[in-house]
Amino acid sequence: MTAARARLIDVAAGTAPLALIVTLWFALATFGLAPAALLPAPQTVLLRLCALLADAQFLSQCAVTLFRLFAGFALAAVLGITIGIAAAGSRAVGTALTPLVRVLAPLPKIALYPAFVLTLGFEHASKIALVVCDAVFPILLATYQGAMAVEPKLVWSARAAGVSHARCLFSVVLRAALPTVLTGCRISLIIACIVVFLAEMITSTDGLGHVLVRAARNFQTVDMFVPIIVISLLGLLLNAGFNMLRGRLLIGYPEES
Amino acid sequence: MAGDMQARIPSPPTSDLSGFGQLKATSLGKPRFARSEARALAARSLAPIPGLAPLLACLALLLAWDVAARLVAIDSLPSPWSVLNELPKLLSDREVLLNILDSLRRMATGFALAVLFSIPLGLSMGRSRLVAASCNPLMMVIYPVPKAALMPIIMLWLGVGEAAKILVIFLGVSLPVIYHSYQGARAVEEKMLWSAAAMGMEARTRLMRVVLPAALPEIMVGARTGLVLALITMVTSEMIARQSGIGNVLFNALDMAQYQPVYAAIVVIGMIGLLLDVAFEKLRGKLVSWAEPAFPIIAGST
Repeated sequence: MTAARARLIDVAAGTAPLALIVTLWFALATFGLAPAALLPAPQTVLLRLCALLADAQFLSQCAVTLFRLFAGFALAAVLGITIGIAAAGSRAVGTALTPLVRVLAPLPKIALYPAFVLTLGFEHASKIALVVCDAVFPILLATYQGAMAVEPKLVWSARAAGVSHARCLFSVVLRAALPTVLTGCRISLIIACIVVFLAEMITSTDGLGHVLVRAARNFQTVDMFVPIIVISLLGLLLNAGFNMLRGRLLIGYPEES
Repeated sequence: MAGDMQARIPSPPTSDLSGFGQLKATSLGKPRFARSEARALAARSLAPIPGLAPLLACLALLLAWDVAARLVAIDSLPSPWSVLNELPKLLSDREVLLNILDSLRRMATGFALAVLFSIPLGLSMGRSRLVAASCNPLMMVIYPVPKAALMPIIMLWLGVGEAAKILVIFLGVSLPVIYHSYQGARAVEEKMLWSAAAMGMEARTRLMRVVLPAALPEIMVGARTGLVLALITMVTSEMIARQSGIGNVLFNALDMAQYQPVYAAIVVIGMIGLLLDVAFEKLRGKLVSWAEPAFPIIAGST
């Protein structure tokens, strides 16, 4: 069997379940097996999606969500990378941080959201804070692990060439650990995407999550599907975009094992 | 006998995390930079379940909270000590306890169902190219969907009862368990399978007797991520649907502006998360003590 044929089979096998689900959905809706109030037809949802994507108000809700997402993610990346590198570079920081992270990482951060609402208000700040809390740990852990696995010879050479310890951390260790760091960032990006949506669903007056909750309160089923699809597509797109960026940034790096 | 064989299983590739919210240590044998040995030792000696360190960490967090409360000095951020005082009151309330038990029961059901469903699926994905090829794209599409956000739609279909909540938890837990079972099954040493086949073991028996034990360490990593996710999904879905459970207790208190109970409920949820994690780590140690320990920290999200 040639490689091309094998790939063809893979693609066919991969699309089959997706196609099956959509067909099933279509059949359920068109043959009236499921009432439209519970399960709108896929074409209805698609049309509504297209209509809303041209709607300025809906787009502004998307923009609000995106703003929170990126603000939270950027903060989390800065914090995670800095703390991760510091923990790898200094034993004192590492020792102090390990138990803290051990305690904090498995906690359901979403439970902190009410506390953020109480202290930071209903606006952007509470949502961004929650995104930071959820997104920081994968980046921090990836950075720390990546930095700990950096070839010591690289650091020795840099040190021998007279680079200071602190500078070495950022110009040698961080660069060498970049593939792992970016993997952590990719995980966090999706997490940020999900968390911002959930936070908006729990309490908010704007954003995609709020669009969903408002539709649910009014039993507008079609409008309930659209925000979920949009946020999922957004996640997929961000993931794909980040992978492209990652490939660009990692040109010249050895193929990751 | 099995232990010796399994001990040589190479750990599955850790680099392609595919974003399943979990990170695993790179091989411990790798050289580390700068005074590597001492540092690696220090890091390792801290890593596995230190009794004192987490307690100190909790204390440090409480102190940080205290300082923050003093600095901000607003009613909505009470001092940690008043919240800790509130804890016994909250936990002795029958209503609250019932809600917490409800939540835990739902979580356990959803988690158990998800594990029972996901491990066989993941293992067959790892051993069959066709199954893997047909499930991978589907999983990739499902992955970025916020599972707890499906709550309103699922409630529309299944009603407001237990089923909807359990299904949401099931969805949240499944993905990481499937993924890690898949990775674990893929990394099983072929020679062990050949030997088993040569000894006349059938394909299905091989999956149970060879692949499952060999993939168990990786499955446990997935299950641990799944456990964290079960709690997160449970709390989130209760916050969104607000009918019963600990999430509801929290928001009731919030709606009535009773700040101490809000924070006490948060502390309770945090403690549940911590206890579950520690308990699972104990169980994992018992079951797969022969395997190289995974990195002790998992970060996950819905």
